Amino acid sequence: MATRRSPLLLAAAILAVGLALSVVLSEYNLRLLNLSVITAIAVIGFNFAFGLAGLISLGHAAFVGMSAYTVAILTTATGWSPWAAIPMAVAGTVLFSALIGYPLLRLKGHYLALATLGLNVSFFIITANWLSLTGGTNGIPGIPQLRLHGYFISGERYFLRFGLVFLAAVAAAALAFQRSRHGRAMIAARDDEIAAAMSGIDVTRVRVAAFALSAACAAVAGALFAEHVRFIAPEDFGYVHSITYLAMLIVGGEGSVVGAILGAVLLTFLPEWLRFLGNAYLAFFAAMMLAILIFLPRGLVSLFRRRAPRRIAEGRS
Amino acid sequence: MSDLIQLFVNGLALGSVYALAAIGFVIVYSATGVVNFASGQFVMFGTFAGVSMLLDAGLPWAVGYLAVFVVMAVFGAGFFACLYLPLRKSPVATMIIGTVAIGILMQNVALLAFGSWPFRLPSPLDGLSVHMFGAVISAHALMVVAVTALLVGLLWFLLHRTPVGIGMRAVAQDMRAARLMGLEVNRLLALSWILAALLAGLAGLLLGPMWFADVNMGDPIALKAFAASIIGGFGSLPGAIAGGIFVGLTEVLGASYISSAYKDLIAFGIMILFLLVRPQGLFGERIQDRG
Amino acid sequence: MSMTRQAFLAAAFGAVLAFPVLPAAAQSGGPILIGATVPITGPLSLTGKQYYNSLKMAEEDINAAGGISGRKISIAFEDTQASNSTAVNAFVKLAQETKPAFFFLSSYSTQNLAVSPEVAKVGVPAVYAGGADVVSAAGNPWMFRIRPADSVAARAMVLCAQTVLKVSKPGIIYIQNDFGQGGANVAVKQFEAAGIKPVGVEAYGQNDKDFSAQMLSLRSKGADVILLFNYPQDGAMLLRQAKMLGLKMPVITSSAALVPAAMQLLTPADLDNVWGVVDAFIDPSVGPRMKDFMTRYKAKFGVDADPYGLAYYDAALLVAEGMRKAGLEPKALRDWIAVTKDWPGIGHTFSYDAHGNGIFDLAIVKAKPGTKTLQLVQHVSVK
Repeated sequence: MATRRSPLLLAAAILAVGLALSVVLSEYNLRLLNLSVITAIAVIGFNFAFGLAGLISLGHAAFVGMSAYTVAILTTATGWSPWAAIPMAVAGTVLFSALIGYPLLRLKGHYLALATLGLNVSFFIITANWLSLTGGTNGIPGIPQLRLHGYFISGERYFLRFGLVFLAAVAAAALAFQRSRHGRAMIAARDDEIAAAMSGIDVTRVRVAAFALSAACAAVAGALFAEHVRFIAPEDFGYVHSITYLAMLIVGGEGSVVGAILGAVLLTFLPEWLRFLGNAYLAFFAAMMLAILIFLPRGLVSLFRRRAPRRIAEGRS
Repeated sequence: MSDLIQLFVNGLALGSVYALAAIGFVIVYSATGVVNFASGQFVMFGTFAGVSMLLDAGLPWAVGYLAVFVVMAVFGAGFFACLYLPLRKSPVATMIIGTVAIGILMQNVALLAFGSWPFRLPSPLDGLSVHMFGAVISAHALMVVAVTALLVGLLWFLLHRTPVGIGMRAVAQDMRAARLMGLEVNRLLALSWILAALLAGLAGLLLGPMWFADVNMGDPIALKAFAASIIGGFGSLPGAIAGGIFVGLTEVLGASYISSAYKDLIAFGIMILFLLVRPQGLFGERIQDRG
Repeated sequence: MSMTRQAFLAAAFGAVLAFPVLPAAAQSGGPILIGATVPITGPLSLTGKQYYNSLKMAEEDINAAGGISGRKISIAFEDTQASNSTAVNAFVKLAQETKPAFFFLSSYSTQNLAVSPEVAKVGVPAVYAGGADVVSAAGNPWMFRIRPADSVAARAMVLCAQTVLKVSKPGIIYIQNDFGQGGANVAVKQFEAAGIKPVGVEAYGQNDKDFSAQMLSLRSKGADVILLFNYPQDGAMLLRQAKMLGLKMPVITSSAALVPAAMQLLTPADLDNVWGVVDAFIDPSVGPRMKDFMTRYKAKFGVDADPYGLAYYDAALLVAEGMRKAGLEPKALRDWIAVTKDWPGIGHTFSYDAHGNGIFDLAIVKAKPGTKTLQLVQHVSVK
C-alpha cells in the first residue's frame, strides 16, 4: 500500500515530477496539468469523505464552487487581496460543510448520494439566479491575479509550480492523516459502525470531520480554480463535476491518495487525448472508463501495486 | 380559478411523465439494488427507438410501437449481460459510476447515430384536445395520465400475483435465499432489466410527442425522476407515482405562486427535507442503508 | 484478476500515455491554418453543427475561388462541449499545436468569456458569436462579434413591441442562462426608459417542458404582448404551449425559436400572431447571394441554413478578404477587421466599432398566415 510510505516522500515525488514536467511540457499540456493538479486536490479531499469514511457525496463540486465564488466575490466586488480572500473562502466553506454535515450525514449510501446531489443542483440554481451577488449565468470575469513578492503568478508554467506546492502539501497531509489514529477511526466507522461506536469512536463526529476535511480540500481547489481561470460561472460547478470527482477516485483507486491523483490526471487528460477520434471521442472515453471499472475494480493504483510494489506510483503520471 | 385548474392539469401531466421515468428507475433499484444514473438515457433510447421506427422507417402505429418494445427488450437484456453481470459484485459507488459511464456512452452513440437535430415524435392523438372546467389539455397528455395509472395496476399485478413477479421480489429481498430456494436468480435479474428497459421505452414513446426529442434529453429527466423517487419513497412503485406527480405539481404551482426562477430549488429543497425528516419517503422502504 | 488483463491494460495505458503530441504545423508553405472551437457534442451541439457546416462550406468556397493569394485555407475544428473549461482546452490546444492565423470561437458567451484571456495572450484575431454585452465590454482588442449583441437584439424586440405592435403592457419570459437573463434585463430597462413598466418577468430552466405557470401568470397580470427570450427547442415548445393555452395576445420571440431546427417542430397555427425578431432574414427574396447560399447549403447538408450559421459563413468570407488585403500578420489582420466599415455580408453589413461589435441590425419577421413561410415585416437598426 502506498499509504505505508512517508508523506514527505510523496510530497517530494509530486514536486519533482511536477517541476520536471513544468519545464518540458507545452502550454496546452501545462494547462491540462494545472487542471489536473487543481482537480487532484479536490479528489484527495473527496477521498476523506468517500475513501475513508465511505460517504458517497455527490455535492463535492458545490464546495469547490462555494470557495471559488467567495474568492471571486471578495476580490472583485469588495477589492480584497486574493491572499486574504483564499483563507476566508476555505474557512467559510468548511464551516458551511460542518453545519450541513450534522443533519445530512445521518443518511447513508445512495440516500446521502442523492441528498448531496440535490444540494449541488440547489447550489447551481442559486448561483445562476442570485444576480446581484454572483452575476447569474454570466458568471464573474476579471478575478485579480495572485501576486508573490510583487510578481504576478501568471502563465500556465508559473501557476503549475504554485499549484504543485498546494497539491504536495495537501497530499502529504492527507497521507499522514490517513495513517493517524483519526484516519483509522474513519475507516473503522465506515467498516462497522456499531463496532466503532463500541470502541469509543463518536461515529457522527468522525463523519462530520471527514466531510469537513473533504470540503476543506475542495475549497482549496476552488480557490485555485478561480485564480487559475480568473473567470467562473455556475456551469463550472454543476452536479456533473461532482460525479466526475467520484469517477476519478474510483478509476484511480478509492482509499488511496496516490489513486486520487492518478484518477484526476487520467480523467482530465483522457478526453483531450481522444480528441483525434472526432465526434466519437466521448463515446470512446466512456467505453474506456467502463473497461477500467470492469477490469480494474480496485482502480489504477492496483496496476502499479501488483507490478511494482515498492515503487512510487506518481512517477508514471 | 380556471387558471388554477389549468396549472393543476399541466402539473399532473408533467408529473405523470416524471412518474413513468421514476418507475423504470425504481424497478431496477428494488430488484437489483443498482442506482441507475443512466435511467434518463434509457428513456432517451426509448424515444429514439420511436423516432427510428415511426419517423424513419414509417411503420404503422401498432407495428412501430411493438418494434420499439422489441428493441428495448433486447437493449435491456444486453445491458444486463454487458454491464450488470460484470459489475454486480462491485460496491454501490462503482456501480453508480458504471451507469454514469454507460449513460455518457449512450448519449454519444445516439449523437453519432441521430445527430443533434431535435425530432417531434408523432402521437396517434395528435391535434386532439379536451376542454374541461375552463382548462385545456391535449388528449395525448390525458392518455399519458391514463397509461401511467393503468401501468401501476399491471405492475402491481405482475409483482404480486404472478410467479415471475413473486420470484423477482424474492430475489430483490434476499438473493442468496432465493437461489437456495431454487429460483433462477440470473434469469429473474435479467427480467428486471428488461422490464425497466420496456418501461423506459414506453416513457420515451409517451413523452416524445409532448416534449421534443433530442439526444441530450436524458439527464434532466433522470434528475427529476430521482427527486420523485426520493419523495415517493425509494423502491416503492406507488411512491414513484406519487413522487412524480408531487414533483410535477410543485414545479408548475411553485413557478406560478412562488418564483419561476427558483421553482426547481423548491422541488429539490423538498427532496432534501424528505431525506432528512422522512428518508423512507411517502411509501418507501424503512431500511436506510441497503444497496 | 488475471495478470494478462492487467498486462493488457497496462499496455493500453502505456500506449495512450505515449500518444505523441502532434508536431506544430508550420504556417508557411502548405495551407493557411484557421482554428474553430465550436460545440460538436453535448446540449449545445445543435447550433454547433450549423457553425461546423457553414465553416466547411466557406472553406470550400474560399479555396475554390483561389484561396488567399494562391494558398488554400484549412479549418481545424475542436469541440468545446457545453463547458467553459473544455472550450479553453480546445482553444489552447489549437493555439499550441495548430498555431492558426485566425480563430472562430463559439456562440456561447460564457465560453467566450472564459477563452478571452487566452485569446489576448496568444494575440491572434478571433470572431465570436456569443451575444452577452460583457464579452465586448471587457475590451479584448483581438475579439470581434459577428452577431447582434444581446442588448441590440433585446432593444430591437422592445422596438417591435412599441412601434409595430404599439402595446403598453408587456410581459417577459426568459430562459435562465446568460442570453435570457441578459436580454430580459436590457428589455426591462429599455421599456422603463420609455415609461413602460413590464407587467411581469418570468424565468424558465433550459430543460423545462411546461411553461403554463409563466404564461398564465403574465396573462392574469394583463400582459398585452409577451416577449420570449429563448433557445431553439424550448422556443418551439413555448410557442406551441401558448396556442394550447389559448393565449390571445401577440408574442415576440427572439431569433432561436424560428431557426429551421425549431420551425420543423411547429405547425402553421403555432406561428399565428407570432412576431420574430431574428438575427438575419433568410429568404431567397433577399437577393441572389442569399438565394445561392440557401440552395447550396440545403443541397450539401440536407437541412436549411439558419442565421447563426450564416453569421459564421459571412465572417469567414470577411476574414478571407482581410487576409488577402492585410496579410496573415496577426496585428495587421486585426487592425484591418477593426476598421472594417460597411462590408457587405450576405446576412448583414459589417461595421466594427471600438468594442469589436459589428452588427447592429435585425429583422422583424412574421409567418405568412396559414403557412410557415416567414415574411419580412421590417428591418430594425439599433445603434
